Amino acid sequence: MSHAQTDTQPVLQVDELTVRLNSSQGLVHAVEGVSFALSRGQTLGIVGESGSGKSVMARSLMGLLPRRAVAFSAGSVMFQADQPPARDLLLMPEKQRRHLRGPAMAMIFQDPMTALNPVLRLSVQLTESVRQHVGLDRQQARIRAIELLGAVGIPDASRRIDQFPHQLSGGMRQRVVIAIALACNPSLLIADEPTTALDVTVQKQILDLLARLQREHDMAMILITHDLGVVASRADHIAVMYAGRVVEYAPAKTLFTAMKHPYTEALFNSIPRINDPSHTRLQAIPGRPPQLVEPAPGCAFAPRCQYAQPRCWQQTPPVVAVDGEDDHRHACFYPISETPAREDADV
Amino acid sequence: MSDQTPCHLRDRDDIVLRVLQLSVNFAVGKQTVQAVTDVSFDVARGETLGLVGESGCGKSTVGRAIMQLPPPTAGRVLFNSQDMTALSGEALRQTRTGLQMIFQDPISSLNPRRRVRDIIAEGLTIWGRDNASVRVDEVMAAVGLDAASAGDRRPHQFSGGQCQRICIARSLALDPDVLICDEPVSALDVSVQAQILNLLEDMKARYHLTMVFIAHNLAVVKNISDRVAVMYLGKLCEIGNTDAIYARPAHPYTRALLASIPDADPLAREQASIDNEPILQGELPSPADPPSGCRFRTRCPYAQARCADEVPQMQAVADDHHVACHFPVLTP
Amino acid sequence: MRSKLTDTGVVRSRAQGFSAAARQVFGRGFGPGFWVAAGWLVLVALCAVFADWLPVNDPLEPVIANRLNGPLTTNLLGADGLGRDILARLVHGSRVSVVIALSAVCIGMVIGGTLGVLAGYFRGHFERGLMAVLDVILAFPWLVLLLALVAFIGQSLMAISVAIGFLWIPAYARVARANTLSVVQREYVLAARAMGASTLRILLREVLPNVILPVLAYGLVAMGLVIIVESALAFLGLSVEAPQPTWGGMISEGKRHLATAVHVALVPSVTMFLTVLSLNYVGDRLRSRFDVRGSNL
Repeated sequence: MSHAQTDTQPVLQVDELTVRLNSSQGLVHAVEGVSFALSRGQTLGIVGESGSGKSVMARSLMGLLPRRAVAFSAGSVMFQADQPPARDLLLMPEKQRRHLRGPAMAMIFQDPMTALNPVLRLSVQLTESVRQHVGLDRQQARIRAIELLGAVGIPDASRRIDQFPHQLSGGMRQRVVIAIALACNPSLLIADEPTTALDVTVQKQILDLLARLQREHDMAMILITHDLGVVASRADHIAVMYAGRVVEYAPAKTLFTAMKHPYTEALFNSIPRINDPSHTRLQAIPGRPPQLVEPAPGCAFAPRCQYAQPRCWQQTPPVVAVDGEDDHRHACFYPISETPAREDADV
Repeated sequence: MSDQTPCHLRDRDDIVLRVLQLSVNFAVGKQTVQAVTDVSFDVARGETLGLVGESGCGKSTVGRAIMQLPPPTAGRVLFNSQDMTALSGEALRQTRTGLQMIFQDPISSLNPRRRVRDIIAEGLTIWGRDNASVRVDEVMAAVGLDAASAGDRRPHQFSGGQCQRICIARSLALDPDVLICDEPVSALDVSVQAQILNLLEDMKARYHLTMVFIAHNLAVVKNISDRVAVMYLGKLCEIGNTDAIYARPAHPYTRALLASIPDADPLAREQASIDNEPILQGELPSPADPPSGCRFRTRCPYAQARCADEVPQMQAVADDHHVACHFPVLTP
Repeated sequence: MRSKLTDTGVVRSRAQGFSAAARQVFGRGFGPGFWVAAGWLVLVALCAVFADWLPVNDPLEPVIANRLNGPLTTNLLGADGLGRDILARLVHGSRVSVVIALSAVCIGMVIGGTLGVLAGYFRGHFERGLMAVLDVILAFPWLVLLLALVAFIGQSLMAISVAIGFLWIPAYARVARANTLSVVQREYVLAARAMGASTLRILLREVLPNVILPVLAYGLVAMGLVIIVESALAFLGLSVEAPQPTWGGMISEGKRHLATAVHVALVPSVTMFLTVLSLNYVGDRLRSRFDVRGSNL
């Protein structure tokens, strides 16, 4: 976890990213005004439930959304792999973007089974990108692939490399997916729910592996999850997403000690805690996550928020920084520490 | 009780469900997969037993074998002292209504072509109970569904959380004694999970249910269970009082599981002894060819020669805390 | 005045609500092509039912003067080699096509569908045995089998329907079995058993409603193929006996005049082409809508 961001340009600088998608029901406001910056060696955790827009955002950063699906996108995504200047990915032609995927930025997905091609041997899938982007010949590529498998902790790599994906366990498959993603030494790795499909002991192995590889390669990493626990001790910063917006962004420690947004608090309180005695009553969030199709005005969390005021139903709260802390931002008119002010507003 | 009754079974009058030496084998091609081997436990009236373990440990198979769906290969399931494995045909259909199940995927648990009211009333219709519609209204209200507006709709018009409420209402309609919950919240959004867990607690109190709660999430299991049973590769490793097991896990596998949980609260990690537990290495062995002796020995940091030769039997390490390990980790 | 306004408002909103609901059930995803195809099929069906009452000429009466006349002359769609009105023969011939298509598909669907559902639900020896028999039927050259069947049971409309329907049993059995297999894995079947539902009840209430729609949709596609099979039989002179008009028979007769009067073969060919295309299109659309995996379950 290095914090030398003052002297280096961030790898990724996202400003007011907005993505709207076409659907049969109407326009889906999937991502609304998301901003953050990420430097080498840093991890950004993005936490949100299904439908919070976290996966759409990741895919739009990678340029993996089908062109027909995107109705509208705005904002800027400045990306700088090795040397300046940073370039806006949204303005880049698809052909150039394709050359970035693999050597400069890579992504791993939730389901390691569907991320691998079931009819191709691992050797083929592992060597594909190094041969295409780095230009190694067949023999060199195979040696590199065996190295990669060893680096992600697959024992007996020189034998495993000739196997098919179905011959591996779920955890092993995810290791292979990670090896493929890292084959060309990307500067940015986006991991979209990398451990959701895995068992808890395997999850720990995979998260430890990702942390180690990030350190070794000095990558920037975006770790997307629905589980606050996964990012709590592994991310430098955490962004909490709800209905397409980042409702709170803070350094990991700060988020847990001084959370400002009622959704962050409600999410945190609704999770059963391993240290609580059994039969502890959970503080459930009433209602359900909102539809992103043609959303109503106002704060999207207002219908489920125990602190909601009339204003919350009418105006969308802007993202503001907490006094004196530049990297702690939230989007709430009545953030948590200001409880008394809430009562004033009522009068 | 006979001589071979395992020591962790309790000699009490209020045992609703007793599972004795349950084994389930599946034929996969020419191989026989031992999904569940020699599992015994009991559940007292009004109790919730949490059954935890990772995928492939056989916990869901146990749940279905209790329901005789399909019947187990060996062993007995005593429901209110009646041996369900000895029943068949009409008698089994009758007895089985005393146990109901809810499943992981609420959407796949509901027939998409039927209306919600018919789905919930199904059990009552089958048995020709009187006042079915009154009962349906009652259970729908109990799980927080509006009978008037929701009853005539079809499942795809509801969210996952609401579908799980419909499933719960359906399972309650026949007024069962035992509710077997197979990963009921793992397909749901985090913010909806708590609603369903609280609802299950409420329903348990309101309808005097006894529950078997199957899940892989240890925090969820701890929240809802009175007792916990940990399974690994088809066998029971550890069983006992929930707070005791979470505070002083004695089986190396239980310890590894607890050490792997990512805690949402980084400031409140008090299980320091468990944090130093080595993370599990290696792969889950094939259930078609399980290791000799203790099934966990191939991945156990404390394994010794004896573990390969001798199958560990359940032994008491504390009051209502039993572990199947030759070398349990005992903490004061 | 005021109340009147409100009333119309209510009516309109109700109408909108209905059209929205209708759109949800039927409209979305079907598109205009579906309705054109469905319209053509309705037209063909109406012709078949009301052939005797429609204002067309006698399909059997030869008018030598009109021999091989082209369309839009003495006859709207021209006349054939014996001077019979092609439009009238098309309308009456649709009867044979529709009756054979419907009855053959029904026979195949009922027998094959039932066998397939039972095989998918009970599995085991029954499934293996049934599938082996069906594979044998499928492997048999269908035309030879059909010729043998028709030679054995005769050349009536009924006999031909039964023969073609028999040929379709394996296909329906396979579609029904595949859909049943995926339905049986769903937990609602397990839940029904837990509630003490009998096997018959599970089959009728839980399995059948989820299998029948994809099977019906497949039936529409199969009807198109049945019409082609019938025409192939007619081409070989083994369909319904002359002089009863059938589309296949008309094409077969028209081939003699291909050099001089193309329309004699072309008009029934185009009619058949449009009908088969419409059946495929409508069937395919319905199938994708009702596919167990594809639908929004």
